[in-house]
Amino acid sequence: MALGNRAVVNPPFESVSNPPKDTLGGAPILVVEDERDLAEEIRLELQASGHPVQLSETVDEGLRAARSGPAVLVIDRMLQGQDGLSIIEALRAEGNATPALVISALSSVDDRITGLKAGGDDYLVKPFDIRELSARVEALLRRGGDARLTRLQVGPLEMDLVERSVRCDSKAVDLLPREFTLLEYFMRRPGQVVTRAMLLEDVWNFNFMAQTNVVDVQIGNLRRKLDPTGARRFIVNIRAVGFKLNVDA
Amino acid sequence: MWTLEVFKARAFRLALGFALTISVATATAFAFIYLQVSSADMQQVGAILVDEAAKSVDESEADLHRALELRLTRDIRRLDFVALIDPKGQLIFGNVPFLPRIPIDAKAHFINEVVFPDSHGDKDPAIFVARRRADGGILLLGRSLREDYDLQETLLRALAIALLPTILLILAIGAWFAYRASQRFKRVHDAIVRIMNGDLDLRLPFAGEDDIGKIARAVNLMLDEIARLLDHLKSAGDNIAHDLRTPLAVARAKLERALDNESGTEQLREALEAALVQIEKVSMTISAILRISAVEQGAREKQFRDFDLAAVCAQLFDFYEPLAESKGVTMIVDAATPVPFRGDQDLMREALSNLIDNAIKFTPAGGVVRIEARMAEGRPFALVSDTGVGIPTEERARIFDRFYRGERSAQAPGHGLGLSIAETIANLHGFKLTVEDNNPGARFELCATSSAPAARLARETA
Repeated sequence: MALGNRAVVNPPFESVSNPPKDTLGGAPILVVEDERDLAEEIRLELQASGHPVQLSETVDEGLRAARSGPAVLVIDRMLQGQDGLSIIEALRAEGNATPALVISALSSVDDRITGLKAGGDDYLVKPFDIRELSARVEALLRRGGDARLTRLQVGPLEMDLVERSVRCDSKAVDLLPREFTLLEYFMRRPGQVVTRAMLLEDVWNFNFMAQTNVVDVQIGNLRRKLDPTGARRFIVNIRAVGFKLNVDA
Repeated sequence: MWTLEVFKARAFRLALGFALTISVATATAFAFIYLQVSSADMQQVGAILVDEAAKSVDESEADLHRALELRLTRDIRRLDFVALIDPKGQLIFGNVPFLPRIPIDAKAHFINEVVFPDSHGDKDPAIFVARRRADGGILLLGRSLREDYDLQETLLRALAIALLPTILLILAIGAWFAYRASQRFKRVHDAIVRIMNGDLDLRLPFAGEDDIGKIARAVNLMLDEIARLLDHLKSAGDNIAHDLRTPLAVARAKLERALDNESGTEQLREALEAALVQIEKVSMTISAILRISAVEQGAREKQFRDFDLAAVCAQLFDFYEPLAESKGVTMIVDAATPVPFRGDQDLMREALSNLIDNAIKFTPAGGVVRIEARMAEGRPFALVSDTGVGIPTEERARIFDRFYRGERSAQAPGHGLGLSIAETIANLHGFKLTVEDNNPGARFELCATSSAPAARLARETA
């Protein structure tokens, strides 16, 4: 996973790189959460993925910690009667653009919108799967892929965003528009775990969970088109979490 | 309790004011009658005397004497007092002990105190007329007003006696109305207090079609609705508890069994994963409940925008078609012409998505799921139909109830809240979600009601 884990630009291939992983050094992930059990679970999960974690329980403490330069913020909205969003608002007012994931037990779309308006970069509603949170934090850490790219390459897969064409091992692959969009999302996040909820939100604009496995079916179709033989798994399932575009296939 | 006191005091004050006003009006009327009657009486007496004097002016002394004697005795026109005085000032005849000091002008004059010949020294009010005769003599006629005064006094007493019971009657009626009103308020108030204390089956008493009756009826209708909602809430609560308890119990059993046995790593792993699936179910249910309450919080109308419902249907077709295909279900979309719609696009997509999700779930291979969006009678209309097992008529009314699980869905995956979410969203948009028979299968229809906000585009094309 450590090798070739990058979106490739042509030319130059090296313009997008991912932050270093698998070390406990570097900037920590700041988790502002006053429910200690949950905070502890988040810490264990993120540390298991190799990130140092810093915990805060209040808005004041969280804001102070946030100013010391964490890599990503994970902020609960309800903190002992205060709204965690105020931390993000204060940071943004200071010109601090540290990526922030807002978590909340409030589930209305209004809250999602206020959360994103206040400067949050992603929004997760309780109760959530801890791996969902982990995948989203990962996505925020790797954020910064260049949106102006015209060509993407991951292993044998090449995508031309202008011609809207895809080639696999230099052979053209015929994709439906929705399949193209889906593959583009993966190719912008090579080697990164992508959850079903992330796909629903970002690819199909669904801000709610569909009950049936529509996503799996669409991915199955895409897989078959990329490799009709089924021998090479470009997009692999990550058990109970989602999918990943395998860069080594 | 203070409200009751206020009503009571107010009712009584009203009654009192009413009684007072009526009393004053009655008394004024009585006083007017009295004054009219007495002054008319006086005028009449004066007029008779003036008339008598005028008639007697030209008669000879002897004739006059006879005529006056006759009138005094026979009392035809009630002369109490006559005197004929010759030009020299000598009394020719008459029954007066003195001459009243009045001008000789043939007009009626009122004298307050006169001692009459046979009145035993009592002083009476009287009216006199003095008139000069052709020979220069003076004719004096007079009449006591004693009887008239007595009559007036009787009238006054009668009026006073009549006025008193009238006022008392009015006061009594006022008090009775006030009492009745306050009793009525008290009954309503008591009922409200009992309802507040939890007796939700109780209703406000109402009698009649007046304002209070109308309000009582409106409040009763409101209470019916509240009771219905509470009932709904209670059964939803029971169902939620059941839906959460079952997977939790299963998860717990799996974990306990795994701990009891001397399980190997692989078995422990399987048990943990099975437990996790159950917990995921609980989590999905909770998310769905939160979702419904979030949608129900309303207040989203300010985010309503105009959009094309047909385009949303086309997107959803695109999204679900691969799933339908993988199940061997044919999916058809009929949404070629724009359907202007005002609302929350995300929510509407969610509502339709739940319907389509269900339709695909309950349609066997070889079946057809159809999505349609069009204008029907100038209003947006959408339908999702399938050729599955359909919904029995007796279940149709209940399928939108939270956590209601019909026979067809007993074994199906999902949290069972999809239709509730869809209905909640439909209601928020002023839409009605209904289910019909598709022969075979079910047909869900989303029709705008009159309360649906009209899209600007729709108004322009209308």
